[in-house]
Formats: sequence, C-alpha cells, structure tokens
Amino acid sequence: MPESEAARYLKRAEHYLKQTKYREALAAVEQALRLEPENAAAWSLRAAVKIETERFAEAVADCGKALAIDPNHADAWSKKALALYQLEQYVPALAAATRAVSLNANDGPAWYIRGICLEELGKSDEAEVAFAKSLELEIILDIREETRRIRK
Amino acid sequence: MKTNMPLSKPIRRLISGTEQMLDTEITLLRKPEADPGGTLVDVYTYNIDKNIIIFPASYIGLLKDFIIAKQCTRLLIKGAAARTDGYRVCSFNADSVAAGMRQIYLDALKDEAKKEKKLPVKKLLEMLFLLYRKFHGDISELPWNPIVNARIYHRMEQLRKTQLYILLKDGKQDMDEMEDMMEVLPRRYFVLDKSLFYARDLYLAKVLPADKLMPVVNIPQMKKFNHLEVKEMLTTRWTHTAWYQSKVFGDTMLTIMEKHLNVDWGAENSIEYYAGLYRTGVGLTDALLGYMSMKDWFIWEKPQHLLAAEENMAGYEQGALKRLFGDLLEDPADQRGRT
Repeated sequence: MPESEAARYLKRAEHYLKQTKYREALAAVEQALRLEPENAAAWSLRAAVKIETERFAEAVADCGKALAIDPNHADAWSKKALALYQLEQYVPALAAATRAVSLNANDGPAWYIRGICLEELGKSDEAEVAFAKSLELEIILDIREETRRIRK
Repeated sequence: MKTNMPLSKPIRRLISGTEQMLDTEITLLRKPEADPGGTLVDVYTYNIDKNIIIFPASYIGLLKDFIIAKQCTRLLIKGAAARTDGYRVCSFNADSVAAGMRQIYLDALKDEAKKEKKLPVKKLLEMLFLLYRKFHGDISELPWNPIVNARIYHRMEQLRKTQLYILLKDGKQDMDEMEDMMEVLPRRYFVLDKSLFYARDLYLAKVLPADKLMPVVNIPQMKKFNHLEVKEMLTTRWTHTAWYQSKVFGDTMLTIMEKHLNVDWGAENSIEYYAGLYRTGVGLTDALLGYMSMKDWFIWEKPQHLLAAEENMAGYEQGALKRLFGDLLEDPADQRGRT
C-alpha cells in the first residue's frame, strides 16, 4: 500500500524532531494534521514538539485530542505524562505515565516519568522499581545505538 | 538552571547546589550526535558566561542523570580550584612536545629493530605526535575519572546501577581502543595505555565495590589472567604478551592510585572539599607521569594556555621533528610547493 501524504509529513516531522529542528517539525506535523485531522499519532507528535518548545499546557491539550480519537494511544499517554510533570501536576502525570506503561511496557521515558512522579509524591520504593525498569530499557537502546555507531 | 527536560530530584538538587556553590549557571543541552560520555563546556576553560552540559539526545532517563552528575562533579572540582589555588591543566609547549616525541622515537627505534616487517618511515614519523597526543588525552582525563566516580558512588546512591553499566561499557571500549594497531605501536606505549585503564577499573572495582568491573572479569583479553598459578606464570608464553604486561604495570599503577586517592568520598559538599579533590587529582597525575617517565612531556598551565597550544599543534609537531632530524627532514612547505 502506498504511503499517504500525511504519513510522509509525519516521518519528516519525526526526523526534524530528532534533529532538534522544532520549527520545521511543527510545520510538517501541522501539514499532516491538515490532511488527516483525525490522526491520533499526528496530535501526539505535535504534543512532543510543543513539549520541546516548553508549551506544556498546549501539549496536554494535543494529547487530549489524540486520546479522544484513540483512548489507547500509548505514546499520547506518555507525552501527556511528561507535559503534566513539567506543569508540576504530579498526581495526574503519574496516572498518565501508569496508563502509558500499561499500554506499552517498553516505553522507557514513561517509566522514568513514573519514577520521578513517585519520587515527588514521596513513594521512593515504588520509584526505585520504575527507575530500574526505565534503566533496563535505556540500556537496551544504548547497546543498539552503540552497535549502530560501531557499524557506521 | 535552564532546562525543559525531566530530571530526578537528586539531580535537580545537585545542579542547583553546584550553581549556588560556584555562583554560576548551568544549561543542559541535548544533541543527537553528542559524545556518549557527555561534554562539559565550562566557564573556567572557555570565555563564556555559563556552563553547558551536552549529552546524546537518546539519553532521556538515568543515563542522562549520570552524565549530569559526572559533569557537575567535574565542574565543582574545576570551580573550587579556580576559587582557591587556581585551576591549571596539563598543557604542552614546543619543548615538552619535543621531549615526548624524542622519547617515543627512541622507544620506537628499539622495537623496529626487532621487527621483520618495518614500519614505513613516513608512518613512523606520523605516529610520534599521534602517540604523544594520545597520552596527553589519557593523562588529562584518566586521573579525574576515579575521583569523580568514587564521589558519585558515595553521594548518589540511586545512580549506582547506571554508573556500573557505564563503567563496564567504558572499560571495554578503552581496552579495545588501538588493539588493531598493537603490532605497529611501540610495545611500551601500548602497555602503558592499557595499564592506565586497567588500574582505573581495578581501583573502581574495589571502591564501588563491583567485582564485575575487575579487568580480569570484564575485559575479554584479560580473562585468562584471572586466578593465575605461579607455575603458569613462569611457564606460559603469554606472560610475554602486551596484555599480561599491561596487567603487571597496571597492578603497580593501582598501588599509586590507592596511595594518592586516600579521600573521604562521602564528605559534605564545600569549596574546600572540592579544592582538595583537585589537589588530589594533580598529585595523582604527577605520580602517574613520573611512573611512566613522562614528567617532562607536559606542563601545568592555565586552560587558556592549552587552548592556544592546541591551535599551535602542527607547528609544535614540525618543530619537534626538526629538532630530532634537523635538515634530514623535508620541509612540508617545500613538499607542497613541488606537488
């Protein structure tokens, strides 16, 4: 099946986001949303760009839109957790992070957010478990990245 | 502190504590292609108004926290030194480069005489400065590594697992480095380079404590030296190998490290404490340089001196070659003119 135009814009936006070119990433993701306003992944990606540019409340709203379209969109829950954490709303951030890891147990950043929210809420034992899981996933990614670097 | 990234509580405390103690500002910066060990661009070295800690964009959790902890500790040591006795680094000038390259050349000649397949002269000459620079990098970095890691281990319990992973990874990488050039390099320098890493890892294996970090456990090339019997040591041919010699020299370097790193790693934060860590690092650097007979290779100077020396590197290298070989050596400018 040929890739849709919106999907191409999303790929481009992801690439720009990795390169920390936020203005270009935002422009690309908004093109995708113009073409497919009901695309949950696009809303979630726009939330990611907004987090990077410190527009945390707008990011929460974007995650809300993504989750209205797809309530089980793991990445939207993860981004929502991060944005809420930045707004120092630790209880809802923890709930969002918990939902994110229940939908995708391999989401390292969500485990980390869960850990720091638990830490903020004084639950250090539970925080330690979340940090351990986050580290385990981060190490797997790091080993993969290292292998890629060596091959390169 | 300027950042939009999530940080664990102890790391936030460490950053703000560092900023307060040194009356300076720290910015965190993620970069896709940053060095995996992170980079510190600090106000004590560069003419800038705030410190920047750079780390790979893919590090989002505890790996990032560990890099921040490491670089903040380094910043504290540099800043405390700058505020007390003065911050100096291992630098070089025309004389010290000439002394280093001359010694490497003499050692290389001895090795080359025994080799069937000789290194082409051009490669041999290129190698002199490359090796000199390699040891400059090693000695500028290595003595500070156990200091920073021991301090983090004792002050930031929640980073211990992350720290162990990073140390195991770094240990392997440092030992693998230059292995493909083992037959080309003068044996003495290959061995000294590996001995430094061996001693560092063995020291940290004891201080952390973590048996996994012991080079005879973590480093594949050294595993066969674990649980050696005297008979084996006397009869086996590999006692003549570079890896075994690295272990022997490394064991002596460990003794030097232990003698100099007699520090209360868990003490409270203060300028005096970190200034003491700086003096410890300087003492250890001098002792290791003395052990490796490299005392006249480097000089303690202000960081700005090193930046200027790095700009003049090519000139120092040519000057040292000229001192070694006089008119036997073709002037690079003449070579360029002919091509």
